[in-house]
Amino acid sequence: MNKSKLQRLQQLVGAPVEVRVIPRTEWEQAGGSKHPETGDCLERADSSWLLAKADGSEFKVIDIRAKLTPLERELLGWALKPVNAKPQAGASDSERQARKLGDWIEQCIAAGDVRAEVPNQFELRNRLFDGMIPFLLQNEQADDREPSYAELEKVFRSFISDDMFLVPLREREWLVLGSDRLLAEVDSPEEDAPEQDETKEVLYSLATGLHQMFTEEWGGECHVAVGMPIIPTESLVQTVSTLRETVYLGRRFHIGMQVHLPWMVHLERLLSGIPESTRARFMEEMMGRPDLFTEPETITTLDAFFAMDCNVSETAKKLFIHRNTLLYRLDKLKQETGLDVRSFNDAVLVRIMLLLYKVTKRK
Amino acid sequence: MAGVRLEHVYKKYPGSDKASVTDFNLDIQDKEFLVLVGPSGCGKSTTLRMIAGLEEISEGKLYIGDRVVNDVAPKDRDIAMVFQSYALYPHMNVYQNMAFGLKLRKFRKDEIDRRVREAARTLEIEHLLDRKPKALSGGQRQRVALGRAIVREPQVFLMDEPLSNLDAKLRTQMRANISKLMKRLETTCIYVTHDQIEAMTMGDRIVVMKDGFIQQAATPEELYNHPINLFVAGFIGAPAMNFITGQLVEEGGSVHFKATGVNVEVPEGKAKVLRSKGYIGREVIIGVRPEDLHEEPVFIEASPKSIVNASIEVSENLGHEMYLYLNGLGKDSVIARIDGRSGLQEGQNVKLAIDMNKIHVFDTESELNILEN
Repeated sequence: MNKSKLQRLQQLVGAPVEVRVIPRTEWEQAGGSKHPETGDCLERADSSWLLAKADGSEFKVIDIRAKLTPLERELLGWALKPVNAKPQAGASDSERQARKLGDWIEQCIAAGDVRAEVPNQFELRNRLFDGMIPFLLQNEQADDREPSYAELEKVFRSFISDDMFLVPLREREWLVLGSDRLLAEVDSPEEDAPEQDETKEVLYSLATGLHQMFTEEWGGECHVAVGMPIIPTESLVQTVSTLRETVYLGRRFHIGMQVHLPWMVHLERLLSGIPESTRARFMEEMMGRPDLFTEPETITTLDAFFAMDCNVSETAKKLFIHRNTLLYRLDKLKQETGLDVRSFNDAVLVRIMLLLYKVTKRK
Repeated sequence: MAGVRLEHVYKKYPGSDKASVTDFNLDIQDKEFLVLVGPSGCGKSTTLRMIAGLEEISEGKLYIGDRVVNDVAPKDRDIAMVFQSYALYPHMNVYQNMAFGLKLRKFRKDEIDRRVREAARTLEIEHLLDRKPKALSGGQRQRVALGRAIVREPQVFLMDEPLSNLDAKLRTQMRANISKLMKRLETTCIYVTHDQIEAMTMGDRIVVMKDGFIQQAATPEELYNHPINLFVAGFIGAPAMNFITGQLVEEGGSVHFKATGVNVEVPEGKAKVLRSKGYIGREVIIGVRPEDLHEEPVFIEASPKSIVNASIEVSENLGHEMYLYLNGLGKDSVIARIDGRSGLQEGQNVKLAIDMNKIHVFDTESELNILEN
């Protein structure tokens, strides 16, 4: 909700209004539902919270410093509900089928049945036997209106081809299935089809292209995850679950990145599963200097060093600095921490520290 | 074409106490090439993203032309963006890449064709129109990304570090290409970079930012010759301006600046200002550009009251010029840029004269340029 709308709301309810981001635990401790929906209202001692967005462990709430009447609660809740969450009258057949499929995927994930196969009753099923590339797209744009299914489908058809499916999942989240023939289209006609080991690179370039297109030409900022080609009937639920987790991990550990790859977040997944207290103890033991990573130059240098597979020359080239400057920086780090990132064991420790530091810092 | 105006714009992220951009006021003229520059985290990209509509404006108003666009979606702002990660659409050829945005906006086929071919001609990529991005070099891809923006014929171009993925040689080349292109297109352009050389060479006007605040907005010449504070003085110029901390004292009717190894007379014009502002007897920082330290005998002879002696710690000869890293002038090392044929070497002692007419004097507490404020 933008500033002017907040001011308008403030005038309407006659009380101060602000948008806050709270942890899920705070919502639950205040008596909120464990599975809340956008628009849910929570009455507190001196204020009312309206849920604007639930994003994993963080909730965006509109904090109104007044008690709302039941009618106000209902009206505001209704206004916040996503406009296109349900198919509108006049929705096309493909939209109805896609929404049905999306609901089924959500139900399977909620029930923990990620291995479920698309049941026979879905009319779409027959079209889900071919190899397809799954993209998960989460739109972040601070805009009140969610784009309509028909509009979006048209955009993706223009971008990918007619041979695609758009499946709405949660609010502002879509699964885009494009034919795996796209992989071959990345090469010029005279070139051979991509080798197996090139596939991931091609998928990444398709995902960045999709992100760029959506951001610039259509709906503003978004996050995209892409998976290896699948036969949708067999592994649709599993794929959505993995891609959603990939976006979550990518956003948590790699702030600033918008395109996320499941095969690039293995370590992050592992670290995410370690209890908070264990992580804190590790950081406490390892960080000789608590301000070690507060210098952006150190983080940039280490990020580039690890991205370049610990290759000094390539890292220096990527950072546009002299090789000796890089060596000086790495030596300085060694002096301060006793860890030499040019040795494998120390590199592993620093990489883990860096990932955990980013999560801690964000908190 | 249109100008862009930001009025008291703030960006504050939820959960953060500090604003990422604070009270940003700027009037960007129609057809102006404006560069936002500053160190990482200074808020320059956030400002650009707010103009693009990719970040919500927490407070303040943004105008494109006469229209307030705070609540207008990015696609409806009539802007074109070129970012650092200029991802092309890998499954489309160059022509399709450039045409896609227009196709989405339902332009007529012949109009799309005209615009794509015209942009391709401007960018000299006509021969690449059938190629897929994979078959292009870094520089060619960058030009296609620019082409994709140009065909839109937007009111404003927004560019966020578009050259940072290119190697040094290509960057220099593309820098000139973009400048030429923008002059030819006569469109407003807002360009973000952390590279002050890019800023100085490309911008009609430069906005230097730090910690979310505008430090100074001025032409490149103005910024270089009249920096408003210590930060701008140190940020603009390579090698950076030298800073020497010392005291201003009145001696025999003239003002002298004294620091370790330095005792030089301040020209009367500057001395008058310093006297009137009560700086005599106080500690100040003087700023000297590396090129304002001279070793030529003629200059030294003509400047007997600004001579200093130093030892050369390191010398870097670039051929046409030489950088001397000097010890003995103030607490920190001082850099002098001199003629490459001077023959001076490491370990030597050298006599230099400071061009005192070009020095800057900064307040040690406020860090403001005393002579400019």
